[in-house]
Amino acid sequence: METATLDGKAIALDDAYRHAAKILSGAAFPLVAGLGADVAGARAAILLAEQLRGAFDHLASRETLADIDVKRSFGMFTTTANEARLRGDCVVLIGPGLTRAWPGMLERLALSQPPRRGAQAEQPRKVIWLGPEGDEASAVPGAKVIPASAQELSGVLAAWRARFGGRPVALDADKVSLIDGLVETLKNARFGVFAWSASTLDPLAIEMLQGLVIELNATTRFTGVHIGGRSGASGVTQTAGWMTGFPPRTGFGRGYPEHDPWRFEALRLVESGEADAALWISAFDGEKPAWSHADIPLITLAPANAAPSRGLFIEVGQPGVTHDAVLMSQETGGMTLRKASAPTDAPSVAQAISAIMAEVSEGAWR
Amino acid sequence: MKPFTFTLRQEPPQRVDLSPLTPDRLAGKSIAQIEEIEIGVTRISTKVGDIFKISEGDLKSLRYEGGSSRFDLLGAKLLPGFEIHVEGDVGAQCGRLAKGGKIAIAGNAGPHVASGNLGADIEIKGDAGDFLVGPLAGELAGMAGGRVIVRGNAGARAGDRLRRGIVVIEGDAGEDLGARVIAGTIFVLGEAKGRIGYLNKRGSIVLARAGCFGSTYVDCGPQELTFTRFLARSLRDHSASAADLLSRKLRRYGGDTAVYGKGEILTPD
Repeated sequence: METATLDGKAIALDDAYRHAAKILSGAAFPLVAGLGADVAGARAAILLAEQLRGAFDHLASRETLADIDVKRSFGMFTTTANEARLRGDCVVLIGPGLTRAWPGMLERLALSQPPRRGAQAEQPRKVIWLGPEGDEASAVPGAKVIPASAQELSGVLAAWRARFGGRPVALDADKVSLIDGLVETLKNARFGVFAWSASTLDPLAIEMLQGLVIELNATTRFTGVHIGGRSGASGVTQTAGWMTGFPPRTGFGRGYPEHDPWRFEALRLVESGEADAALWISAFDGEKPAWSHADIPLITLAPANAAPSRGLFIEVGQPGVTHDAVLMSQETGGMTLRKASAPTDAPSVAQAISAIMAEVSEGAWR
Repeated sequence: MKPFTFTLRQEPPQRVDLSPLTPDRLAGKSIAQIEEIEIGVTRISTKVGDIFKISEGDLKSLRYEGGSSRFDLLGAKLLPGFEIHVEGDVGAQCGRLAKGGKIAIAGNAGPHVASGNLGADIEIKGDAGDFLVGPLAGELAGMAGGRVIVRGNAGARAGDRLRRGIVVIEGDAGEDLGARVIAGTIFVLGEAKGRIGYLNKRGSIVLARAGCFGSTYVDCGPQELTFTRFLARSLRDHSASAADLLSRKLRRYGGDTAVYGKGEILTPD
């Protein structure tokens, strides 16, 4: 059983930790990237980045920051999936691939059942799906499907919002009356919910959608459910928030956290040569880094089947599969403990990083 | 009097923060003191003296002989009455929060040029990166005054949340030009790709080439606008091609009707 390899050849685990520490503490500006980990793993990784005065980024930061950018520069109404299931009398799903981004979505939102609470309790729930892919929407009987390609979504949302405000749009009269009918449905909702995933909706479209939510809230109640990014993105972002005050793409180069989504993007740091060593963590599924030609020293923490042929590899367990893990749950909108379903002896991300950190502190640069 | 000059000795080994090197912050310091200013942003120290050879001159006008895409925050918080000229490239956030003065870059600039600019006159001879004049992450408004002229191309999201002032892009603009504009005027003399003016509240976007602007821009027909003649006259010395574009008969598209509908896209009729 391989637990650690160097350029494809097996090495002892202790040697691997020591070697990793040597690479990272010798670097001028090391990068902790991937960050596909549970809360304990993310805490250890961010602490390591702080101690080394490097930077950290998560592999799904693009999606996470799309939602966060709207939240912090515009504002955002959100609720939990449970609240949406219990009270939502009008649920509007936006975009393709929502069931791929969150496989448990249909079960949790129970769209084919009526809401249980609120003014519309036990009345049939209205479900609208804008731009689903293939026959994705067939799993929701009674859903009204509005076809749209992924590129058209932002324009459709803009037209909805224009007509909601009674302003003109450059469309045929029959299209306008279709939109007006839909807007009427939204206005008549007593507890409306939009659900989206930033994997198919860009930050500007999300801002458009949230602007519509704000306007709807003048006369009724509307809110949103956003589907978080892959590889524990939501939990890692929460952890980064309470540790540094910032989401991922934060650096400690000057000894204090600085957040800059451009400067601390992992791919840019590697391709520009500003980062001179990287620790890549992808404990859920062993996703590979986005950079292709990296000639900087690379340490990979991933499950056994994801060993790269180059660089240092240390096998870690999968959060919630081989190890008990605290993860942000899309279902409840809070942190939950996920018990290991098939425990193994492999170290967790937190354990592996602690072992590296112990070696760093001993032979540290400072 | 000759300008106060920083001559590049070597490409910096890391990104450098040049915000301490504006005339008002250098005033009263000796060359030895200036050489000791820390500009590195990692645990490895990089001082002004490691990167630049300094020759003293009139502090009203700073000159960089040689630039680098790693020069961040050049001319940040610049005050009126001062000038900075860079004979080369600059990195991110050039002219960030500048209150006034002039910045001229002979090469290319990184992202967030003139972010939060309040009144400086900034010229980029080459290309500008993404988020030209745009706010930084989490900020509510972009540039609030001044004039920015890019002779080359600009990256994605140029003009993001512009609040006041003039932006001229003489080359092409990347995706999502003029998104979330609050007010102000943006010119593109080349081509603008993808969505234009999404969530534009009441800004004016003047394009040299007509296009399709989506269903939330409504054709208002060709217009004879008085303000364009005034604006053309005031722009003539800074960008003759922008002034020429404004002097033509323009067709107005009102939008973005999704948000307010008081903004516009103007293209030659």
